[in-house]
Amino acid sequence: MKRRLFIKDGAYASALMASIPIVARFTTREVEALLVPGLEEDGGVFLPPEDLKKLLEIALGRGGEFAEVYMERRVVNNFSLDEDKISSATRGVDMGIGFRVVQSEKTGYAYSDELDFAKLKEAAGTAAHIASGNVAPGVRAFRTIKPPSNYLVKISPDGIAAKAKAELLLRANAIARAYDKRITQVSARFSDTNKMIRIANSEGLLVDDSQTLSSLGVSCNAIQGGQRSSGYEKKSGSYGFEHFDIKLTEEMARKACAMAIRTLPAEDAPAGEFPIVIEKGYGGIFFHEAIGHSLEADFIRKKVSCFWDKLGQPIASPVVSLVDDGTYRGGWGTVNVDDEGQLGHDTRLIDKGICSAFLQDRISSRLLKMEPTGNGRRESFRSMPIPRMTNTYLLAGESDPSDIIRSVDKGIYVVKIGGGNVAPTTGRFVFSVGEGYMIEGGKVARPLKGIQLMGNGLDVLKNISLVGNDLLVIGGGICGKGGQSKPTGFGNPTLKVDVITIGGRKI
Amino acid sequence: MDFKTLGENIVARAKKLGADEAEAYLQRSKSFNVTVRNGEVETLQKSVARGLGLRVFIDKRLGFSYTSDLSLESLEETARKTVELAGITEAKPWQGLPDFGPGILPGLDLYDPEIAGVPDEKKISIAREAEKTGRGLDPRITNSYGASFSDSEGETGIYSSRGISYAFKETIFSFGVNLVAGEKDAMQSGGWSSVKRFFKELDSVEDVARIAVQKTVEKLNPKPVATKKVPVIFDRYAAPSFWMGVLLSLDGDSAFRETTFMSDQLEKAIASPLITLADDPTVPRFVGSMPFDGEGNITRRNVIIDKGILKMFRYDSQTARKAGVKSGTIAGRSGYRSMPGASFLCVTLDNGTESGDSIIHGIKEGLLVTEMRGLGTDATTGSFSVGCGGFWIVDGAVAYPVDGVTLGGSTLELLKSIDKVGNDLDMRGGFNSPSFRVAELTVGGKK
Repeated sequence: MKRRLFIKDGAYASALMASIPIVARFTTREVEALLVPGLEEDGGVFLPPEDLKKLLEIALGRGGEFAEVYMERRVVNNFSLDEDKISSATRGVDMGIGFRVVQSEKTGYAYSDELDFAKLKEAAGTAAHIASGNVAPGVRAFRTIKPPSNYLVKISPDGIAAKAKAELLLRANAIARAYDKRITQVSARFSDTNKMIRIANSEGLLVDDSQTLSSLGVSCNAIQGGQRSSGYEKKSGSYGFEHFDIKLTEEMARKACAMAIRTLPAEDAPAGEFPIVIEKGYGGIFFHEAIGHSLEADFIRKKVSCFWDKLGQPIASPVVSLVDDGTYRGGWGTVNVDDEGQLGHDTRLIDKGICSAFLQDRISSRLLKMEPTGNGRRESFRSMPIPRMTNTYLLAGESDPSDIIRSVDKGIYVVKIGGGNVAPTTGRFVFSVGEGYMIEGGKVARPLKGIQLMGNGLDVLKNISLVGNDLLVIGGGICGKGGQSKPTGFGNPTLKVDVITIGGRKI
Repeated sequence: MDFKTLGENIVARAKKLGADEAEAYLQRSKSFNVTVRNGEVETLQKSVARGLGLRVFIDKRLGFSYTSDLSLESLEETARKTVELAGITEAKPWQGLPDFGPGILPGLDLYDPEIAGVPDEKKISIAREAEKTGRGLDPRITNSYGASFSDSEGETGIYSSRGISYAFKETIFSFGVNLVAGEKDAMQSGGWSSVKRFFKELDSVEDVARIAVQKTVEKLNPKPVATKKVPVIFDRYAAPSFWMGVLLSLDGDSAFRETTFMSDQLEKAIASPLITLADDPTVPRFVGSMPFDGEGNITRRNVIIDKGILKMFRYDSQTARKAGVKSGTIAGRSGYRSMPGASFLCVTLDNGTESGDSIIHGIKEGLLVTEMRGLGTDATTGSFSVGCGGFWIVDGAVAYPVDGVTLGGSTLELLKSIDKVGNDLDMRGGFNSPSFRVAELTVGGKK
């Protein structure tokens, strides 16, 4: 549902920060500006170092221990197909600068999307207001960082002719239309976001990064008698256009259709406690929500997360090792540097069941006296960085996926998780399942609809008994926290949770 | 440059570059936000933002782009690129600007001129007091997520080649506090806030703190429930999420394309006769109000469900034309960065007659839902399933908190089995509802 959020975002965000939804499902309409990043001309976009130094000095003008300038230019392209036609082509350009001043636990933040120097000085001065008293350390001489690239981008999608993108979507449509006569609607979409950032801070950091995210999605609906179903498939990552071709598109269209047709006869899900098997891939959302958020260091340092005192302690079954990997090549949440200029990092959050690290931004790592992990991320120059996940996934185990399914006599097989949310304080989560089946006698049987997974992250971690050898990391999810949306990747091997509460209709 | 000049100029420029029709959507805002935790200012943010979204049609083909750079060079580039984009898409006969022409904007009184006069110190002290009051009210409160105060003022303008030329100014103020009760693995969090158009209308710090505390401590020590079918009451703060889910399934284009279970329900009884639901963004001084919608259509009251009968789907001007629907378009717009799309704007369920006591009376065993963790309704299939928190009801009274429960059913069956609607409507935002009772739903919990 669209609301005019322009002025309301700020007003509501802080009041509603306890609820953290993730929208990980491809929706063909309405998502617009959120999803998509590309690159245009390089030179002359950003302020030169000498101007940045002047602005940092203004920002530290009233004291404060740290100041930072974050410059961003973002070009977003969206192409979509609906009802057999390329229905929409949109492009957006966003540019601005955010100023941050930190004094111990306090942060002052201001931004400007007007780039004349007088306005920028004013914004830097506004951010400075948070500080008082202390003599500022001054701005150190810049040393430029050139981070290694974790992105898989050879051909920038922003430079690709519209015709080439349109061709992909039209092909997906043709394949889907021919797949089965019960397929009644087909939508497809290609989006790319091309973001250039320059970060400079008073400690002398100066870094540039160019981030490209591309996403291709196909979704469809099927009808038979009174039954309706939907299917979807997407490929998203820090990919160049070379990762998308006709063959891939055809395969994706077939998979989306197969899902819709498979789930047409879905029956109401049962309610109660069951063992579940989660297929590789989408189950990662589960770890993102049920565990990942509670390991974010802002919740930890404020002692409002159920994990705040659990470092070094067993919190999961020994088969569980969880990482947040900002360096995962081509990942949807991958960063060369985070939005504070910290290098992307592969962080082991849970090591064989032991809680081994938290997700840090600069402020949290200072206050907790822990190593930075490159998780300080922000939606845009309009927001302050906060601890956010990058690509969060469960490491592969040793079990054969088919053995895992065979080990369940009566339970639920979860293929796609649609979305969910968690309260970090209690660890209590809920997810809706996009595609799920009964398991009967060790075999995947009839499809189900209306499955909700519900429980507590701590309990689930202890109840994971088998982990497969088939890790799959995927992208396409948009995570929301504190009013900021951010692309995050996730993944998992096939795994079994011995018992979980299923909310369904049938008793 | 003022909005009117800027908007009308870029529309004219787009037409000169080859657009048949063009529409500019302009916004600017100025915002303040402070968060306070443990008595100290944690973050202080101020921002000024503005931007333009440009929609053009050429031979019924659509192009759209936006920019936050309102310099003349950028506007020229935006106009040129948007016209180019329209050249890439394919024609659809229903594409084009809305058919309605200009009208008279209602005065909804949404702007508080006092906004400039409220000093930052006052705003910070409200947040600080809210947290302090909340922490002092109950010894079971052990920690705080913090309190915040935000305000913003903004202007929105829409200008089109059909002669639409409107702008309105608005303000919004809010403050709230989020608290933690209990220790270690038994922690619970909760909070409350007040959101108003006018500074002087904000609820008192004491009221907001008191409700925040109540909403936090009341969750302590929840018990599991067994899976069973029981009567379920949605309280007035959980109910809006339910209606949001139902309304997602009332999209006109989805109905036309038969991708929603509601497709064939127009003019049929989809809910209990106790249910009258309307979209009405015209209430003066209200947070959810606005004088025109995302396409420049002057807002009005629309009845969506009338005594249980489904009266309308939501259409924007494109989808309405496609489906052959003549009037009654409602379009939302989440900002200048996006295009308008069919959307309800401010939805309220009419108040019922039942008092809090009478609604719960006679329930031998049941569930009072105070928090929905999702919207419940699957817009495609019509199945209803959601996780929730709340209280178990025993012998007509609230007995103890529960968590980790799910509700399962069918949305249509649920709507039809609403047997009581409360008289406790509290208008807070875009979705408003009194509490209501459903005769029976599957509550999922432990075996």
